Amino acid sequence: MVKGNEDSESVYSGSEMLYFFMLEKGRMTVDTKKNEVILSIKNVSKSFPGVRALDDVSVAFSRGTVHGVVGENGAGKSTLMKILSGIYTKDAGTVVFDGEEIEHTTPVQSLKRGLSIIYQEFNLVNTLTAGENIFLGRYAELKGMRNIHRKARALLDSIGSTINTNKLVGDLSAAEKQMVEITKALSFDSKLIIMDEPSSSLTADELKRLFVIIDDLRKKGVTIIYISHKLDEIFQLCDMVTIIRDGKIIDTKSIEKLTRSDMIAKMIGREIENEYPERSRCVGETIMEVRDIRTRKLKDISFELKKGEILGFVGLVGAGRTEIVRAIYGADKAKELKIFINEKEVKIKNPRDGKRESIGLLPEDRKLEGLVLPFSVQANITMSSLEGITKFGFIRKAKEKDIAIRQIKNLSIKTPSPNTKAKTLSGGNQQKCIMGRWLEIDPDILILDEPTRGIDVGTKYEIYLLVKKIAEKGGSVIMISSELPEVLAMSNRVLTICEGRISGEFNPEIDSAHDIMDAAIG
Amino acid sequence: MIKQSQGARLRIVDFLLEYLVLIAIVALILITAIVSPRFLTVDNFINLMRQFGPLSFVALGMTFIIVGGFIDLSIPGMISLVAMVTLMLVDTIGEIPALIIGLLLGTTMGFINGMILVISGASTQAKALFITFGMSLIYRSIALIITGGFPMNWGTLFEHPMPVTRTLGAGTLGILSHSFILFLFFLAVLFIFQSKTFLGRAIAYTGGNLNAAELGGIPTKRIMIFIYALCGFMTAVGAIVLFSRVSVTVPTVGTFFERDAIMAVVVGGTSLLGGKGSVLRTVMGVSLVILMSNCMNLMGVNTHMQEVVRGAILVLAVWLDHRRHERG
Amino acid sequence: MKILGKQKAVIAILFMLLVMLFTDSNFYTAGNLFNLLEAVSTNAIIAFGVTLAVICKGCDLSVGSVMAMSGIIAIILINGGMHMALAIILAVLSGGLVGFINGFLIVQQKSEAFIITLGMGMLVQGVALLLTNANPVSASNPSFQRISGESWLGIPNIALFMIVLGILTFLLLRFTSFGRNCYALGGDYEVAEHSGINVIKTKWFAFVLTGTFAAVAGVLAASRMNTGLPIAGVEIPLMVNCGVVIGGTSFAGGVGGVPQSFIGIFAMFLLRNCMGMLGIHPNVQMLVLGIMVVLIIALDCYAIKRKKEDV
Repeated sequence: MVKGNEDSESVYSGSEMLYFFMLEKGRMTVDTKKNEVILSIKNVSKSFPGVRALDDVSVAFSRGTVHGVVGENGAGKSTLMKILSGIYTKDAGTVVFDGEEIEHTTPVQSLKRGLSIIYQEFNLVNTLTAGENIFLGRYAELKGMRNIHRKARALLDSIGSTINTNKLVGDLSAAEKQMVEITKALSFDSKLIIMDEPSSSLTADELKRLFVIIDDLRKKGVTIIYISHKLDEIFQLCDMVTIIRDGKIIDTKSIEKLTRSDMIAKMIGREIENEYPERSRCVGETIMEVRDIRTRKLKDISFELKKGEILGFVGLVGAGRTEIVRAIYGADKAKELKIFINEKEVKIKNPRDGKRESIGLLPEDRKLEGLVLPFSVQANITMSSLEGITKFGFIRKAKEKDIAIRQIKNLSIKTPSPNTKAKTLSGGNQQKCIMGRWLEIDPDILILDEPTRGIDVGTKYEIYLLVKKIAEKGGSVIMISSELPEVLAMSNRVLTICEGRISGEFNPEIDSAHDIMDAAIG
Repeated sequence: MIKQSQGARLRIVDFLLEYLVLIAIVALILITAIVSPRFLTVDNFINLMRQFGPLSFVALGMTFIIVGGFIDLSIPGMISLVAMVTLMLVDTIGEIPALIIGLLLGTTMGFINGMILVISGASTQAKALFITFGMSLIYRSIALIITGGFPMNWGTLFEHPMPVTRTLGAGTLGILSHSFILFLFFLAVLFIFQSKTFLGRAIAYTGGNLNAAELGGIPTKRIMIFIYALCGFMTAVGAIVLFSRVSVTVPTVGTFFERDAIMAVVVGGTSLLGGKGSVLRTVMGVSLVILMSNCMNLMGVNTHMQEVVRGAILVLAVWLDHRRHERG
Repeated sequence: MKILGKQKAVIAILFMLLVMLFTDSNFYTAGNLFNLLEAVSTNAIIAFGVTLAVICKGCDLSVGSVMAMSGIIAIILINGGMHMALAIILAVLSGGLVGFINGFLIVQQKSEAFIITLGMGMLVQGVALLLTNANPVSASNPSFQRISGESWLGIPNIALFMIVLGILTFLLLRFTSFGRNCYALGGDYEVAEHSGINVIKTKWFAFVLTGTFAAVAGVLAASRMNTGLPIAGVEIPLMVNCGVVIGGTSFAGGVGGVPQSFIGIFAMFLLRNCMGMLGIHPNVQMLVLGIMVVLIIALDCYAIKRKKEDV
């Protein structure tokens, strides 16, 4: 118990040093207008059939501050943002923005009033140029294309970005797209910019730059609402924090008055002693050896996986972590690849081969690659094991039902019935459906690609326990995660991946988080 | 309380949307029976049964393609090539071997369609649409080239009596025509296949989410090839039923069959988005289309007007499909 | 290699011209080129309209029937004693109306474009058959034939119409906010919507234009032959849509344009023309055309697949 606490503490301070540098200056700057409220929300409620998404919410955002909003998935953050932007209409309450009471609004009207939202999955058209995107929908007002590109250039320069305005947005990197989004917000003279999980696909360097820009905007009197799962970033950047749980505002405090564990406790409504279960220790003999994966992106990837081991892959998004596991599982083609399982060479050409060699993959994007959303929970759970319960090609219905019920119970998936459609479940329960699919087959090697992305804290812990249980029962796990603390706390061994190569091997119990991150950044 | 009654109302709407085809069929039967007394005669019943002709076989095959998330426009080409090749071979190798070769040919053409899609990596409906359209041109032009564009007349031109074809075309068992019995047979087999076997389920997974099915260990590529081959086979059966009924078959036979088959499938309520649907629904769709034209014929509606109505029905069916989808 | 991949149609055209250069010295006469241009014109006009639909991430398979119907309506109205200009305007508007209904069902009801337009095509085909009782109709007024029959400076009128409409569409797509918005909503519908573009009106209007262009082509074609044929067949819409895609206007939406579509259509008809000149039997021509359609679309898919696998 105590051990876990220490782990997370040390990780926090480690990654703090790594990710970014402190923006003390920004926080210290006291703007004269600082206490003026730009946006105030009073007693706002919103219900969907069967759910009260927002319950009597009141909060005020001050001018020229960075205001963090945290909460578990489904807590009501995105509902609140969607009401502000005008995608949803509120049932009750008042919203006052910049001294004007807003009853009904649309995304465009909000933009024109000076309230921009930058979504996690960017709101940009990939087939148009950067310049066109910045002024999307306003061509008639700004006569002529040249004018658009000139204005876009000036705005991009103002935040120190060198993106060519004639480049197609589809060819830009995630960070560049974010710059375009910010520029777009600035082009509307935004007084308030809401950023939803802005760091999810940025490298550490890019994040640093983003922080500088945010700080700059704060000094110019722009208010930033910063929504993030990464508490580290909230502590780095924000002046104020609002915590939402179950559609209610739990607390709004200035950052100095909150500690990390306070915050987590308020998010989930109970004190949890630790974020991670105790590390499993049952590493045995080598089960799989991978030699020389070579693709256009990957170079000479070789490593071993032991029985009962949890092997963590650490690296930036785009470093090649997902590509490695996809190549092993047969989902992507590789120019060269040798895999030995129990010292016998195996050929894996497609996911079916992977499955036959007792490898399972929980894919990165559960909606696009994991689930068949319109199908039932049962159909999603039994997908991979169905072939095994056939007799002359006919499915044995009773066994199918057994499997579904067993896994729903086993993973405590919250669903009204096995026949409920998967798309109606929450993210965490959807992820558990895919976990259940693989647990039923019980593969020797289970690969988890971002198993906890976008999942609330409570379910995360359940997934950690599951992973631990798999390892204790003799299964081997490869775990990829963008959340460094999570990998470090769970794994027996960590490989860092940087620019398509394995840049280091670490023991997370001995080596410092600083060294590991250093190797990952390269 | 308010919520509950709303819920009940929602359920009624859902129910109506779900069983709209069935309701439409019943309504159509009632209306026609009232308007035209000839409708409820044995003659008309036999006539109706006869209408379950080539199209219904093709539509059964098309169901699997659409459930699998794809589309096949190569049907006219396959029908004409199967019909022409079979009829040309009858004289030289005899009737039964020719029919078997016809079925094999249809399956092979479907297999080729599937292979081209798999190899080229065409994974969307729009791409499949154009590739199979091109394949249709190819098959049809081959049919035209090998026959020189002349029609085939098995009734008089051939020495061979073709007993099997003749019985299939005109024979009856009791009041059921042979082709209708054949249809019921295929319906039963394909229904069991679709609802009870792993392969049937795997087709639905593929149509529901191709990527997820692939990563979940479903052999999606083989399934793509399989559904096209199955559709090719069913089309070949349809082609044989088609030429069994008429004595003269032109090489351009089968035009608009792809369109009508897609229409029957969609009208029945199989979703064009893939993953959802059943051969039973297709039977309802086919029945509706047949009843519709029977009803219009009995009421003396102009054939061109019928075309207009069919177009309207297809548009309406697609619109309803999307309503259903949006409701969850 | 990347440039080559994007310009398959251009390469095909160059290749065919080269073949013709060595095999048939009559090919490069002004007469033949104009014949070719005349044949391309009707289809190119349809293609310009279809380009709009495809950029908006749709497609239109009803254009063939619309073409047939509009020609028939024009001729019937003229034969009925209506003033020619008015008759033509009404005929063109009928195409616009079909496009309007297509647009309503696709945009307002969010339905799949290819199947809706397939159904509308059936419906419109039925209307054309109803109007003529399935017989071809000819215009009694000889001046109707003059609209596309005559030529100016040796260029057939129908080609002039095509050039003017092509330039207009090009300008519309390139320099008006409507055109740019088409690209935006084709590229990403929701983003365009949230950026304040009236996506519904824009896409709807694109389909209206598609129908209108098909109707214009129908009137011109009817005038050229002085006959309205009630049956268009499935070939025309699929050919035109294929031609547009071969030219590089992708079904993914948001890319392409008038020049690309013209090149695509031109390549397809040049191939036909070449085969005709070489005395190839029509059935074999159909075979070659089928192979070309399959090959080009399949190669396109294959290139996308390879690109995905490589990363």
